[in-house]
Amino acid sequence: MDILVGSIFAGLLIGMILALVALGLTIIFGVMDIVNFAHGEFLMIGMYTGLLTAQGLGIDPVFTLPVAALVGFLLGIICYFGFIKFLIRGPMVAQLLGTFGLMLFLRNLALLIFGSEDRAVHSGILVGKSFDVGMGIIVPATKLAAAGLSVAAFFGVWLLMNRTKIGMALTATALDAQGARYMGIPTERMNALAWGIGGASVTIAGALLVNFWSVNPFIGLLFTMIAFAIVALGGFGSIPGAFFAGLVVGIITEIPGFWDFFSYTFDADWMMNVPMTSFKYMWVYVAYFVIVVLRPRGLFGWKQ
Amino acid sequence: MEAIKNALDFSDFPRVDLMVAGAVSIALVVFPIFPHSSFAMSTMIQFLMFSLYGMGWNTIGGYGGQVDLGKAQYVGIGAYTTAVMLIRWDIPFWFSMPIGVCLSVGWSFIIGYPLFRLKGHYFAIATIATSLVLKDIFEVWGFVGAARGLEISPIEFPPPDFMRLIFREDIYYFYVILVFFFIGILYINWFRKSRLGFQLRSIKDNEDVARSLGINVHWAKIKTYAIATAFVSMVGSFHACYVRSIEPEDTMSLDISIMIALMAMLGGAGSLWGPIIGAGILIPLKSYLKDWLGAQAGLVGIDLILYAIIIMLISAFEPRGVWGIVEKIRRRKRN
Repeated sequence: MDILVGSIFAGLLIGMILALVALGLTIIFGVMDIVNFAHGEFLMIGMYTGLLTAQGLGIDPVFTLPVAALVGFLLGIICYFGFIKFLIRGPMVAQLLGTFGLMLFLRNLALLIFGSEDRAVHSGILVGKSFDVGMGIIVPATKLAAAGLSVAAFFGVWLLMNRTKIGMALTATALDAQGARYMGIPTERMNALAWGIGGASVTIAGALLVNFWSVNPFIGLLFTMIAFAIVALGGFGSIPGAFFAGLVVGIITEIPGFWDFFSYTFDADWMMNVPMTSFKYMWVYVAYFVIVVLRPRGLFGWKQ
Repeated sequence: MEAIKNALDFSDFPRVDLMVAGAVSIALVVFPIFPHSSFAMSTMIQFLMFSLYGMGWNTIGGYGGQVDLGKAQYVGIGAYTTAVMLIRWDIPFWFSMPIGVCLSVGWSFIIGYPLFRLKGHYFAIATIATSLVLKDIFEVWGFVGAARGLEISPIEFPPPDFMRLIFREDIYYFYVILVFFFIGILYINWFRKSRLGFQLRSIKDNEDVARSLGINVHWAKIKTYAIATAFVSMVGSFHACYVRSIEPEDTMSLDISIMIALMAMLGGAGSLWGPIIGAGILIPLKSYLKDWLGAQAGLVGIDLILYAIIIMLISAFEPRGVWGIVEKIRRRKRN
């Protein structure tokens, strides 16, 4: 029973951070109908930013979030004006391969600068501490704080999108770009803003993630795929959808824990022999496939 | 007979195209006679392999407009079928290759049926997902060597051996893949003028209109996907015998899928020469960049950075590829 509850809890915690990872992707897709393959690379840049700022300035990794957000915002805007603006005029094939090129570029640039070894945060007020919640659940303080801050950031972006004039302009651009232009909304700037917000939210997630996840230049693709799965489940372009789908995908990544629980409960030898931890992320891909085939709109989506 | 006549009929191309194509073919055939380094030879074989991959992708991606980013799974199925059959049961290449094609095509039908209910981005990402699932399975499946992969040892299978396709010199591999290459061109030349080829182009232009004209859109896409799969799987089998050591990471990774799509994209998707031009530019560029900048200057990854910049420039400024530029120039001359 402990394993089961513990797995659900761990899944929900990681899911809250994954939801923030996917938020940027869903905003960008909603506003511009473009799928950003470089999303995981933005996350990687956020992770390196958090790590290097913490080490360079000697402050705690938790307080590097503003720096990461700024870097992500600028990165998104630069990418938009320097590249994406030209890309969106072309056909869909070109858009897909173009953002893939961006991904390859950022990944190998990171490889050239930082080298290929894993790096991790070793010190900080949260690192190495944990809470015993009871029922045998031990929660690392880093994960708890990261999940809490990620929910706060998520709520902030939700407020921005739904309670401010800029957010309304973004939503209008997402619904009908041409109509929005007639109403006097500068859609070009709105697109850039979507990339900025998307970049900032994902780099914040990266700076949170680096507290308990070591970083290397190749980490991006995994998170890109996870983010795609979350966005597909929640519905492309839906912000509340991304949050709930993030929790679901978080639980999916804990399937090995459930597998252990059931194999102990039923005392089934064949179940114990399956190397379930190697399949940890496979279920995310399977989930993506099943979701888009059965319900392409996702849970909360309004776009086909 | 009609099919063969159609395949050999290149008369709808301008004469310049045919002259260049003929010159390149002759150059390819006589290339090994002239002195060359082994590095040049392996680059040449890579070029031919990736042209074939690109031709396969071009059927579904170029003529059909369905962005498939999961072709690497079929490279993997082909390569693993050949390697496993050779190592475990000593079945030679020429028998295991058709079996590999059958397995790949079977798998492509299984996943193609649900896949082609999707469109656009959804389809592209779903193909990636299936490819990654298969890669994850191969990485833990002990029967096929798990993450370590398989190795065809030259002691167990002494070269030269035409049936098992094990040779010591690259020149034999070169001629085998060159024959595949010419057959591939003839097949695509037939395909683009076939009923399915025309159906596919009408689907690309407007799917709803194609459906209203009575084309079974779903089935046409699945059939073409199977054709593309067969191409890729065949070359995958060849890859297993050529490199003799395969592992999931270098046969089934996403990078391979993207490379395959990129060949056709860069050269010009939806044209007969596109994938060949694309491979002719990208493969030498990649291997020489890697040699000069990566190995000699000690800058790891800088070859891929330049590569990425090329991808970005092509997709942003000339999405129709090199062939698009050629056609633009021709149109301007005519007016």
